[in-house]
Amino acid sequence: MILLLTCMLPFLGALAVALAARTGRNTQAILAGAATSAALVLILLQAPQVLAGTTSAFAMPWVPALGLEASLFMDPLGLMFAGLILGIGILIITYARFYLAAEDSMPRFLTFLMLFQGAMLGIVLSDNVLLLLIFWELTSLSSFLLIGFWSHKAEGRQGARMALAVTGGGGLALIAGLLILGRVAGSYNLTDILLAGLVIQGSPLYTPALVLILVGCFAKSAQFPFHFWLPRAMAAPTPVSAYLHSATMVKAGVFLLARLWPVLSGTELWFYLVATTGMVTMFVGAAIALFKDDLKALLAYSTVSHLGLLTMLLGFGTPMAAVVAVFHILNHATFKAALFMNAGIVDHEVGTRDVRRLGGLVHLMPIATTIAVVAGLSMAGLPPFNGFISKEMMLEEAGRTVWAELTWLIPLVATLAALLSAAYSFRYVSHVFFGPRRHDYPRAPHDPGAGLWGPPAVLAALVVLIGFFPATIAGPLVQPVAAAVIGAEPPYFALKMWHGFTPALFMSVLAVAGGAAVLWRHGEAVRMWQRVPVPDAKRAFDAVVAALVGASRVVTDTLHTGTLQRSLFVLFAATFLLAVEGLSVGGLGGATRAGIPASGVAVAAWLALVAGAVAVVVSARQRFLALIYISVIGLIVSLGFVYLSAPDLALTQISVEVVTILLLLLALNLLPKTPQPTSSRLRRARDAVLAGIVGAGVGWLALAVMTRAPRDPISAFHWAQAKPGGGGTNVVNVTLVDFRGFDTFGEIIVLGIAALAIYALLKTAVRGVAGRRLLAWVPETPESPERHPMMLVVASRLVLPIALVVGLFLFLRGHNLPGGGFIAGLVFSIALLVQFMASGYAWADARKRLERHTLIAGGVLVAAATGLGSLAFGAPFLTSTFEYITWPLVGQFELASALLFDVGVSLAVVGAVLLALGQLANLMQRAARLEVDAEPMDIDPTRGAGAVR
Amino acid sequence: MTGAMALAELLISALIVLGGAFAFIGSWGLTRLPSLMTRLHGPTKATTLGVGSILIASMLFFPIYERSFTAHELLITMFLFITAPITANMIAKAHLHRQGHGVDPNPADSTDATIPEPERWSTFTRPPREQEPLPPAE
Repeated sequence: MILLLTCMLPFLGALAVALAARTGRNTQAILAGAATSAALVLILLQAPQVLAGTTSAFAMPWVPALGLEASLFMDPLGLMFAGLILGIGILIITYARFYLAAEDSMPRFLTFLMLFQGAMLGIVLSDNVLLLLIFWELTSLSSFLLIGFWSHKAEGRQGARMALAVTGGGGLALIAGLLILGRVAGSYNLTDILLAGLVIQGSPLYTPALVLILVGCFAKSAQFPFHFWLPRAMAAPTPVSAYLHSATMVKAGVFLLARLWPVLSGTELWFYLVATTGMVTMFVGAAIALFKDDLKALLAYSTVSHLGLLTMLLGFGTPMAAVVAVFHILNHATFKAALFMNAGIVDHEVGTRDVRRLGGLVHLMPIATTIAVVAGLSMAGLPPFNGFISKEMMLEEAGRTVWAELTWLIPLVATLAALLSAAYSFRYVSHVFFGPRRHDYPRAPHDPGAGLWGPPAVLAALVVLIGFFPATIAGPLVQPVAAAVIGAEPPYFALKMWHGFTPALFMSVLAVAGGAAVLWRHGEAVRMWQRVPVPDAKRAFDAVVAALVGASRVVTDTLHTGTLQRSLFVLFAATFLLAVEGLSVGGLGGATRAGIPASGVAVAAWLALVAGAVAVVVSARQRFLALIYISVIGLIVSLGFVYLSAPDLALTQISVEVVTILLLLLALNLLPKTPQPTSSRLRRARDAVLAGIVGAGVGWLALAVMTRAPRDPISAFHWAQAKPGGGGTNVVNVTLVDFRGFDTFGEIIVLGIAALAIYALLKTAVRGVAGRRLLAWVPETPESPERHPMMLVVASRLVLPIALVVGLFLFLRGHNLPGGGFIAGLVFSIALLVQFMASGYAWADARKRLERHTLIAGGVLVAAATGLGSLAFGAPFLTSTFEYITWPLVGQFELASALLFDVGVSLAVVGAVLLALGQLANLMQRAARLEVDAEPMDIDPTRGAGAVR
Repeated sequence: MTGAMALAELLISALIVLGGAFAFIGSWGLTRLPSLMTRLHGPTKATTLGVGSILIASMLFFPIYERSFTAHELLITMFLFITAPITANMIAKAHLHRQGHGVDPNPADSTDATIPEPERWSTFTRPPREQEPLPPAE
């Protein structure tokens, strides 16, 4: 339970910061810091027992059918990562508080940061791999928001997109890989998977699972060839770079490699894939880093290189290498985060991060220089700092590893990478802080306040302390963490500065000396480097993205040409073929039900219906006329419902008719009154034949259905249970809000989405080609200058309250008599539509109190809340209840919880109709170039006789 | 009592027949009369007199035979009295506007002779005013 709370605390912090958006920066930073500190305290409280060997765990079923459990556990590995995430998190929050400029939104930044922190914590504490995947994708999303925090900068947006594409794409591979792994192991819980190592390595699915998981991990941890996103992500504010791109997110891939180490490592495939990738990344990253002039780019490539080092160590597959990897994770997090923050300080105080424009800052910024020297020399691998120890141990391990019988390869590459690493570290320190003082700094450099130098100073202090007392400070942590990674007791190791004259020492000396030499000859090295053709990752990435977009467009354009005729043809043809298939397979039994004799009224209505349908077809080229015939059909259909004793359907039908006809009239206004034929004669003949066949088929099908008695229809249950079970005598309404409430809930969501789609589609219609066509629109007939006739306005005003009362009446009685939320919503909409049409959009719109989007969302939320309310009483979702109460004057009255659900339905309907109306009105106004008319009438008697606008 | 009942029955029947007759005459006029302005008389008579008679018949029938009173007929009357004139007014306005601009001229309307200049008739002419700039696209 404590674990769950720990995991939730950052998310709660994010919520708190977001809610405190109007308070000051200090409050927000303190809120975020408090949530992080509380989580850290909870972790530390459990640390002694976890390190002693008892893992703490929490499990709660979530979707058991999928094997998805909200199960968390914390072993030493999780503890170390959680400690890093939260500990550095506190430092970063402090740093960010002082780093961000006044125009940057602090609550937005901290909210994203806390979301990221929570997601990251979730990854390291998840027991269930499916849960881990969710958190994994959450880190991708939240890091996207953080990298693109300065959304006004193109490079920020592009970097964020690239990071999301690469890490998110890798995440997809990871999903596949972990699903295979879980299937093979028979459980999605890490604790079970970790015990199934032999089964997994013996399975034929081991190879695909391993490759897919590695793709995910490598993409996340910026391993070659996915390394290119990390330097681009440096467009983020520096606190983000320091947090995500040095200490936490990029380590997620390494974390997962370490987590699954006992299961996946030890095979040839693992060694060659992981160790080789790591080795190449380590070398390539270090080489590029040396020639980067931007401080953050230098650090980014150095991070790539160090991540490669970690990957290589884990790839070796030996327990000792895993120990070194664990130790180096700790060391790298300390010195790299300090360096990033230091680079941020330089950028903040000097105004540039370009190495070529810097130098000689040692006397101007003594504190920053001290931090840079300590952390930079640790990165270079110099004693007495922690980087030296882990690098020595790495070289030691590299010296013992043989790659495809080439004994020299790995030691050589490792030494070269260490050499380059020393060179760029020296460059960072000497070219920025030492050398001659310059006079052309963009700003006058000076040391920042304690808020900025404090956090990196803490980390720099750790760098020194671990360097001097490795066994005392890091030892107690590294020992159990390494045990957790290996899955067994780690081999004996000693964390100490002096190992004697070992081969590693000579390699190290060689690297440092070589690094110094390279830096001495940096100018020549740069000229050499410029002759090496390095492929531009961004261009390649853009080309891939463009190719993907092009391919999708080709597919879309082929499938979807945009002609309605063709879509309808395909739809009808498919329907026809499916019906033929169904009939040929299922066959058709004989008629079992006698027909009802047709009355004269029914025949007359039927004839009118046929005549209306024929008239629509004949007048299809005169749109307004066709619309009127369509409304005739709708009217007869609703009369038909009345005739067949379905008053609910009749009411619904007629109100839907009114709303659609009104909206269609508005829309048709902008279209040509008589459209030109767009298809050839032959094609129209073909379409007519198909339409005839399908129409006849549907008619025949309807006849077939009606002449056969249904077997055990569900409506029998609805009839029987409406009153005792649902508390209403109107079976239709009880079915809608109770028996089939979930359907209705889905439908109002669909309605809302449809309204939003109308909104979105018409919103784009005012821009680009469509917008120009709209502006070129000329009314086909002279328009009346009288936009709001007085009599109509007055009458509509008179009708409004009456219509609203009718709507309310229909709404309230809906549960027992014809009516209900949907019909009432439509009646309300019609009442409002009439106001909009009579008095003008601007006048009516100025009088609305609620946004239309809010209405839709509110409706869906009210319905959802009603449904969820039943959960509080232990009943399933959307269980309704009812009670009869006696009110004075009114008498006995039924109160059903379904009524509240109906409120949601009504709100969604009104919102959807008004949203469509609003967009159409906006379009019309632009097309007709009408000035906004906020007055209700053209002639207003209150403004004096004959006052004319 | 039976005398009164018989009278009521007679009255109700007469009203229904009368309503039917008005409705029929209204529809007949709609098809037969030559121009829109004259045709407009047909349906307005049908709604007011025709439906009105039938509503009165209904208001008599239910209290006498079913011993119940409902306000439906009054509501229907009110709605009709609000909507029917407005509809006719709007149709007439649209018609005059169209005739004034020579859209779909119908000789039976004999427009040229009878319609005065638009600004002196009930259709509305907006006084010239300066064009306001377009509202910015949302």
